[in-house]
Amino acid sequence: MGCGSSLPDRDSRLLGRPTSENGGGQDAKNLRVKLVLLGDSGVGKSCIVLRFVRGQFDPTSKVTVGASFLSQTIALQDSTTVKFEIWDTAGQERYAALAPLYYRGAAVAVIVYDITCPESFSKAQYWVKELQKHGSPDIVMALVGNKADLLEKREVAIQDGIDYADKNGMFFIETSAKTADNINELFEEIAKRLPRPPVSSDVASQTAVR
Amino acid sequence: MAHFALNLLHNLEPKRDSYGFALRPQYAQRYREYSSIYREEENERSDKWSDFLEQLVKSSQPTSENEHEITLKAKPDEVGGDINPHRLSNGDDSSRRTFSELEVETNVVRASKGDDSSDRTTSGGTEIKEGTSPERVSEGDDSSGRNFISDITRGHNSGKELHHSEERKTRKVQRWAEIRPSLTAIEETLSSRVKKRKKMKGEQIKGNNNHLQSIEESELVDQDSSELFSHWKELEFLVQGGVPKDLRGEVWQAFVGVKARRVENHYEHLLACNESEEQDVPSAAFGKWKKQIEKDLPRTFPGHPALDENGRNSLRRLLLAYARYNPTVGYCQAMNFFAGLLLLLMPEENAFWAFVGIIDDYFEGYYTEDMIESQVDQLIFEELMRERFPKLVNHLDYLGVQVAWISGPWFLSIFVNIIPWESVLRVWDVLLFQGNRVMLFRTALALMELYGPALVTTKDAGDAITLLQSLTGSTFDSSQLVFTACMGFLTVTEATLRELREKHLPSVLGVIEERSKKGRVWKDSKGLATKLYSFKHDRGSLVEERKDTQGSDTAADEKEQLESHSSNIDELLNVDSELDSLPDLQDQVVWLKVELCRLLEEKRSAILRAEELETAFMEMVQEDNRLELNARVEQLEKEVADLQHILADKKEQEAAMMQVLMRLEQDQKVTEDARRKAEQELAAQKFEVHVLQEKYEKAMQSVAEMQKRVVMAESMLEATLQYESGQSKALSSPRAGRGQSPRSENPSRKIGLLSFGLGWRDKNKGKSNAEESSESVHNNGSPRNESDSQETDR
Repeated sequence: MGCGSSLPDRDSRLLGRPTSENGGGQDAKNLRVKLVLLGDSGVGKSCIVLRFVRGQFDPTSKVTVGASFLSQTIALQDSTTVKFEIWDTAGQERYAALAPLYYRGAAVAVIVYDITCPESFSKAQYWVKELQKHGSPDIVMALVGNKADLLEKREVAIQDGIDYADKNGMFFIETSAKTADNINELFEEIAKRLPRPPVSSDVASQTAVR
Repeated sequence: MAHFALNLLHNLEPKRDSYGFALRPQYAQRYREYSSIYREEENERSDKWSDFLEQLVKSSQPTSENEHEITLKAKPDEVGGDINPHRLSNGDDSSRRTFSELEVETNVVRASKGDDSSDRTTSGGTEIKEGTSPERVSEGDDSSGRNFISDITRGHNSGKELHHSEERKTRKVQRWAEIRPSLTAIEETLSSRVKKRKKMKGEQIKGNNNHLQSIEESELVDQDSSELFSHWKELEFLVQGGVPKDLRGEVWQAFVGVKARRVENHYEHLLACNESEEQDVPSAAFGKWKKQIEKDLPRTFPGHPALDENGRNSLRRLLLAYARYNPTVGYCQAMNFFAGLLLLLMPEENAFWAFVGIIDDYFEGYYTEDMIESQVDQLIFEELMRERFPKLVNHLDYLGVQVAWISGPWFLSIFVNIIPWESVLRVWDVLLFQGNRVMLFRTALALMELYGPALVTTKDAGDAITLLQSLTGSTFDSSQLVFTACMGFLTVTEATLRELREKHLPSVLGVIEERSKKGRVWKDSKGLATKLYSFKHDRGSLVEERKDTQGSDTAADEKEQLESHSSNIDELLNVDSELDSLPDLQDQVVWLKVELCRLLEEKRSAILRAEELETAFMEMVQEDNRLELNARVEQLEKEVADLQHILADKKEQEAAMMQVLMRLEQDQKVTEDARRKAEQELAAQKFEVHVLQEKYEKAMQSVAEMQKRVVMAESMLEATLQYESGQSKALSSPRAGRGQSPRSENPSRKIGLLSFGLGWRDKNKGKSNAEESSESVHNNGSPRNESDSQETDR
């Protein structure tokens, strides 16, 4: 029946997908991207997505169980549109067991931490390492320090975020879902950094050969 | 009264459903449409249930406890009369008030609080609320103000304590309540599952794949459990139709077997541990859970009217107690929702034991650190999907959508926050009743069946998932869902699931093992990360350390970075060339701005359009389903009619056959009679033959006698002849002449006789010689000839 009863099969099938998914079904003007949000529990992943997609902020949003999905399309200045298919994952540590399901084949990973919580910053680093090992090789990663409005409670220096992002070839930004600060900028910047189809297919084939 | 209050709620709070849960604005309209249907269904089922329970009580009364003589309907009045007089004054005839009623009241209170506090004409619930609030304010300590929603609903046992006007301070919170007597029969039967399971656990401590036995199984084992068995199918049907709101809390407890699970005072003990250990240093894991629970408390049904400060305190206590009770699970996100839901339906300790039952039995291995069972379930579900909906799965494959992306959250949350509340509760009714996860699979399959046709029309992954989310979110027709699940997927049983589980478990275990090997590396790197943070100024050493641990990986990393750099450069070049191609940058900017505005506008209208289309589409899908169902029903009816026709034909044929058969039987009887007569005749003939033979033998005997006599006569004749010859010699002497004269007549007579006898003898002499040799033959042969001749005469 070929239902992928063994996981290795599944892996190979999925690893084959990102190239086709990132390159296929889209022309140079209309990109479609799978994006996954990762990070410690309660850093505001869901709030960032809700702010970006619906323009809302709910200080008491629900706990995310497993993962939730939303999509949003933005237009860039070069008249391309990018449709983000956003998977917002559960933050608790044990849900990491299910995370590969969602970040496999993702073209973009947004790793979020809370600037008032150093623990969440180390958790973010854990996610970066995990993605470097198991994510798509050409994945675009962004490091996001959220809750930037809580300046007086800041415990993670902005420079630490910048340094770590630089070291790992990531894009860094501090945001506030509450004030909507830098939220749209985050996604626009990601969109700009996306490999454009002809290039991306080249890169993909190179990586595949390698 | 409940319905009136519910109506009131609708008018006051359109953003929440009748259970007090938040309603997404896009579904508010649909919800309003369905609320009247819900009401009708609720009425219908509460009637059915009260009938059923009455019947149950009646049938179990003679055998079981006499103390439970009060029937379902009499009980509340009695209790109310004894203990809760203020309830009676409300005209509220139920002391066990439902969560929804209460929640409505609190809502009303909230709504009216602003303008007039003396307007508290209403109910016990209100009084209690008012009663506790000063306490809260004055003490600010949750341990003394442990009043929560379920206390209020379950006031009847602690009735005296409810006179808080008199003893407000010393009021003890009621944490445990027995369920109503009319449900004990159900409870007892289902508790046998729990006991069996405990036994099983004792026997094989390591075997962790045994779920609660399905009802049929356990029922078959001990038939003596009660005559509930006879009511079983009826109960199953009732459960599928939904449990009435005001019974739900207690019925669920009966299903999970709360009473059998409960260990007296254990919950208090766990709570005491939690409180005392706050000063001590708790274990690392427990600390982690505690932190997570604190984070999640306000994010559990945010804004639910019943989950105020007290409600959240009891939620916290319950979750912490469970983390201590079962450290192999501890706390997992999603559990907060289940605990919250249970607390809304029953007292705290009842909720705790129900929670224990659900997490430890129904969902064993699901929420543990490695979540093995939940991963296995995803593989199982995908296989079932491929089996059932190959077309749909093909389409999803084509779109690059994995089934588990969607079903994972469904399973983990047991549909809480996935489908509307009415449907969630209906699914839980059946799930808790069945005692295993079968309903989880069936419901997920039913959702796929309902919405699969719509999904097939989608063009990309995002659209497919968005559509499915919005469709599942509007599954207000809970009856349709439950019946589709229960009737449409009967072949999905615990046995098949167990089989599939065994098949898929090894692969999941393999992956986990692999990860755990790498996990050591992660832990190292995690340690590094914290070091990086704390010794951020000391960069040199850090870099060295990193190189040490990552070793061979760094080369690859560098390559990748180079790669990405080059792609960035490519991108820049690309953009540059594009820019070059346009004559003037200024023009380009203007053009772009115009373009952007246009696009934004387009986007806005497109979004509007999409929303319209989506609602229209949803309606169409709904219609479509109905039409389809109708068509199916018609078809089925036709089939039934056909079958009935065939049945009638068959019956006719059967009748004809019967007639033929009867005729045959009659014939057989006739022949049988004839045979019997013939046999009788035969017997008579045989008898006659026998008689004749006897006669013949007698005759032969007489013949033999005659022959003897003949021989004797001959010997006599000879003797006389000799005597005669002697006489004749004597006659020649003179003496003889004298005496002879008187006798002369005699001898002459004798001579005449003798001469006859001699003549006969001589005649026979030749014969007799031949006869003697063949006599035996004659003896045998002649009687037969005689009988033969006699037979032929007849």
